[in-house]
Amino acid sequence: MAASNKAVLGILWSRFAWRHWRISPISSVLLLLILAIGVAAFVSIRLANRAAVASFQNFSDLITSGSDGIIMAPAGALSELVLTELRQLLGPEPVNLVAVVETSAVPPRRDEDETIGSRPVFQLLGLDLPALVNLSGQQTNGRGWLGTATSRGTDGSRKEFTEVLRNPLAVFISEALARRDQLQIDSPLPLVINEHAVELRVAGIIPTDPSQPAVPPHLLIMDLPALQRLTDKTGQLDRIELLLEAGPRRAQQWALIRKKLEAASSSRSGRWLLSTPADRRAAASTMTQAFRLNLDILSLLALLVGLYLVFQGLEGAVVRRRSEIAVLRSLGVTSRQVQGAWLVEAAAIGLAGGLIGLVLGWLGAQFAVRMVARTVNTLYYASSVDSAAFSFGEAIVALIVAITAATVAGWRPARVAANTPPAQIALRTGAATYPGGQWLRRPGLGLTLIVLGGLLASLPPLRLAGGGRLPLAAYAAGLCWIFGAGIFAGNVLAWLGRLFARFRIDSVGLRLAGSHLRAPSGRHRLAVAALVCAVGMTAGMAILVGSFETTMRGWISRTFQADLYISSDGAQSASSTSRISPATWKNVVTNPAVERANVIQVTEINLGGVTTLLMGSQLAFFRDYARPAWLSPPLHEDVFDPERNAGLALVSEAFSERFRVHRGDRMQVPTPIGPRSLTIAGVFADYGNERGSLLIERQLFSDWLGNELASSLILALKPGANAERLRAELRAAYPGLGVFTSSYLRDEALRIFRQTFTVTYALELIGIIVAVAGLVFTMASLLWERRGDLATLRSLGLRRKELAGAAAWEGALTAAAGLLTGLAVSLALGWLLIYRINKQTFGWTLQTDWPVRQLSVLALLVLASATMAAWFVGGWATRLPADREE
Amino acid sequence: MNFDLEREWGRANGIVLALLLHCHVVCAAETPALNAEGFAIPQANRQFAFPRDHGSHPEFAIEWWYVTGHLVTTDQAQFGFQATFFRRALVRPGVPDNSPPPTFGNDQIYLAHMALVDRASGVFRSQERLNRAGWDAGAARNTLDVRNGNWSLRLSPEKSAGAGKEVFELQSTVGADAALMLTLTPKKPLVIFGTNGVSRKAAEASASSHYLTYSRLSASGRLMLDGTSRDVSGEAWMDHEFSSSQLGEGQIGWDWLSLQLFDGRELMAYRMRRTDGSTDPYSTVAWNDGQGVVRQIGPNDFTWTVQQRWHSRVTGADYPSLVQLVAKNPATGKPETFIVQPMVADQELSGKVGGVAYWEGACRVWDENKKEIGRAYMELTGYGESLKEKF
Repeated sequence: MAASNKAVLGILWSRFAWRHWRISPISSVLLLLILAIGVAAFVSIRLANRAAVASFQNFSDLITSGSDGIIMAPAGALSELVLTELRQLLGPEPVNLVAVVETSAVPPRRDEDETIGSRPVFQLLGLDLPALVNLSGQQTNGRGWLGTATSRGTDGSRKEFTEVLRNPLAVFISEALARRDQLQIDSPLPLVINEHAVELRVAGIIPTDPSQPAVPPHLLIMDLPALQRLTDKTGQLDRIELLLEAGPRRAQQWALIRKKLEAASSSRSGRWLLSTPADRRAAASTMTQAFRLNLDILSLLALLVGLYLVFQGLEGAVVRRRSEIAVLRSLGVTSRQVQGAWLVEAAAIGLAGGLIGLVLGWLGAQFAVRMVARTVNTLYYASSVDSAAFSFGEAIVALIVAITAATVAGWRPARVAANTPPAQIALRTGAATYPGGQWLRRPGLGLTLIVLGGLLASLPPLRLAGGGRLPLAAYAAGLCWIFGAGIFAGNVLAWLGRLFARFRIDSVGLRLAGSHLRAPSGRHRLAVAALVCAVGMTAGMAILVGSFETTMRGWISRTFQADLYISSDGAQSASSTSRISPATWKNVVTNPAVERANVIQVTEINLGGVTTLLMGSQLAFFRDYARPAWLSPPLHEDVFDPERNAGLALVSEAFSERFRVHRGDRMQVPTPIGPRSLTIAGVFADYGNERGSLLIERQLFSDWLGNELASSLILALKPGANAERLRAELRAAYPGLGVFTSSYLRDEALRIFRQTFTVTYALELIGIIVAVAGLVFTMASLLWERRGDLATLRSLGLRRKELAGAAAWEGALTAAAGLLTGLAVSLALGWLLIYRINKQTFGWTLQTDWPVRQLSVLALLVLASATMAAWFVGGWATRLPADREE
Repeated sequence: MNFDLEREWGRANGIVLALLLHCHVVCAAETPALNAEGFAIPQANRQFAFPRDHGSHPEFAIEWWYVTGHLVTTDQAQFGFQATFFRRALVRPGVPDNSPPPTFGNDQIYLAHMALVDRASGVFRSQERLNRAGWDAGAARNTLDVRNGNWSLRLSPEKSAGAGKEVFELQSTVGADAALMLTLTPKKPLVIFGTNGVSRKAAEASASSHYLTYSRLSASGRLMLDGTSRDVSGEAWMDHEFSSSQLGEGQIGWDWLSLQLFDGRELMAYRMRRTDGSTDPYSTVAWNDGQGVVRQIGPNDFTWTVQQRWHSRVTGADYPSLVQLVAKNPATGKPETFIVQPMVADQELSGKVGGVAYWEGACRVWDENKKEIGRAYMELTGYGESLKEKF
């Protein structure tokens, strides 16, 4: 029986489904492409996200082949003394302690007008070069760093080992960089490190284990003490990596050593923390989790709209093949077999669309990855990935999503097909009307979904490990509203049809269109629902982005009130660790043209396993020149008085949200000199980072952290002083400093902001393209179903142009109904995105803005393209014979 | 065999070779105080003072502390061990001061080798380590306190005070699975090889060293192997040598032997090999009788015959694996025969870190009647390729 079922399904597939696909290849390809675009958007974002996350690298892993543990300070840098302390603590334990200093560096600017972030960023590692040869991975390279083969340049020349150690500018580069930039031993490599414009000298090629991944071109390695001096970190380390000696008992030994270290860490007032490379990768992944999830969900927009169309396409096919189904049924094919054949066809569409989508998605990922990586680099950590590798796992996920979605979308049409009675053959013409979409005629269901969405919108976010928050309930609320409004949209269409019927317009086309829309078919309703989905989500995102931009503009114009802003010229993103040495900034702030100056110091701190930023600033200057927008203003002025603000702090809104602390709360902050207590004096709006900022008086920061390295300087000039002139003067005196006027920085901040939304714009565009394509598809199906009517109208004397006009009106009104409802939904979605999803994810309160112009352009675009498409489809339909098979 | 050394780095690695130069020959009458690089040249009649002279002598370019020995566990398992700490100066010495050494120094570099051989299983474990002077490697100037990573060799003030004589402590590991903690107590007085406290290594006047040896120490402690800890005891040999010299002209390698005979005597034999395979005139054998009286003989009074060879698949070198040493006993004037056979054939250190591969291993010693008469440690260098081009 099973075998005969298979045989029947096979015959049905080849003679029934496949034949139709071959007869109408255009509509088949269109359907596949729509699904493929949806899958492609999903795949490209998944691959790009994956590549961006993978780009977080413990760069030293390339040299050490992966460490067992990592020691870092809970705040600021780690003292070198910890090395000796650890060696004493570990006694005879066979552990290599690899000290690491890490910083970013960029080539000097070629012209003064280069934008921030336009230069390639190098990751510079300081490692104890002689000791590297002890690592087992390095020993497989011969004598690693000390061997002549590896300190040999591409030209065959070589550096003597002690000469490398004695040269404070000696740098090892990757084979890839040497080839790309034609660098050889002794080639100069000019870089900006902190505020120093230095010319490093190539000392050799980085040796690596052949079993390890290739060293990327942007990784550079120097002897540790040399990099310490260049980065003003003498006596300080960024981390210590622990590598056990190789051996079968390595895992057991690491477990014992880990216990010992953890006990010591807690008994030493948490001066250092133990983590593992896996912990670091997980932390980096968590850091971007919310951002990636948002993109993932957005990428599903096109797929979601595409599914509406697969549903439509299959239901349309059921209608067109109804007579055939009836014949099959009368020939003894069971309803179960018919349903099976339709489901197989739906799955085949899913598979084919999924496969095409995979290819398109992989191609799209190559573009998307740069955009995603740029955002990750700007907001989170150094990432310079520029290509996304194909992932077998992601391909499987995408195919499962495509096949499942197509099968789910095909379920209802399959049921309809299976229920076609054999007698239907006698009623061929009467059956041509699409009977599906009954669920779209239930406004009660729409209302229920909208109410359910309202309830879900009031739920709090899901709290993730590492401080991230995922507004899962809010996303579900959005979906409820989109589907609910989609169901209601059919009624809007009917209302529009009736409205136009009232106008006694002497237009055959309009009257014809109105007659069809007064009682819209299930197909009309489905098309409108798809448009509601696309327009609602696109316009909702536009409202969010518009509100974000308005808020940012206000914040930027308030924040950048001073005259000049100075940072290391190597600081190309938020993840930069470039600093300005005290000697330099003290010279700058005492310039005669400077009236007031704010020296900003920043360090990452770890609060209960969650990283955030501790910042030192002259708080009075912050009040006067950053003009913060207060969510909870300080109740008195103590916090701005350096004499009285020792235990007080201001926190950003993101910090307050992330750590659930408010004005008046007290908290413990880890510092290199032990935990310190702070009272939160106020909460201010800040859109600079989503990790949150804890702001204290700079002198206090300096005392706690034990250094005076500045991340930036802000200068307010004396009346009459010329900012441009001082800028030029400082640039000439300190070529390694980036000196910006407030107007330049405002523009740059907005440019970078827009840059981070590039992916969002691209995904919105894909959503709209799919929705309009869907409308074309719908119109083609509708007119196909009415080909008999069209033939009759033609025989009654209506010209082709008039019939095409009728189709255009029908398309325009359908699009209008979708637009009206979609825009209404977008208001709700905009609110949801701003006050729930954004607030819950990033902890930022935005000022609502309605981007009327952008929404109008969107509406016109959809309306015009739908009308034009329908007009062309109408013209095509009038050429159809009254009873052509398909 | 990885032996492609740079000149400068070769000098650093010269440590490996020079430290292995256990020769002592007559010192020239007039020796300059400093060599061309500004490092000290050993001078006759140096007034040694201890424990200070157990410590580091940074005015000399190279220095090493060297412990080898034979151990037996409570369950009668036998092991041989080697622990070597080398120091090499990278820059000429400055004026000594009391400032703390830098965490990452550039003036000295330290190399160390650890090896452990299990006689029953034949498993030979070895590890090399290289560190710059600083937080993870260094040597005290005023006493024996030398360390490299988690390895260390120290004169223990507490144990020395308790025992009424010098007591040393060795802490070593090989990989993740072998650890050896030993207490070493001299059984015989310290020997200063050479003439008037100077051991010549080659024809060049500057090629000489101060060569201090404890030829027999009792060793006791714990051996942790593959997760099992066992008490061990046995006997060890400890050298300390400092100089600023390099290899002499025409020398391609050398064989060194320390014998601890069951009758209480020790022999130290050093045979420097020349390019043509002959024995260099600065080769020697030193006899230490049961009372600690040391007598030396020259190359004309001993023969070194290789009876078997072992081929290393790692480096391709062919090392002697059965050696017959016939040396005239200065006390009796009669020759004595010692047949030296490695406990395990493969005791080669591959030189992955230091760049110099050599064979150094625990041996048994037989007489001409095939009677086992003692234990030895033998060192064989320059068999993979000539060292002449490197130094």
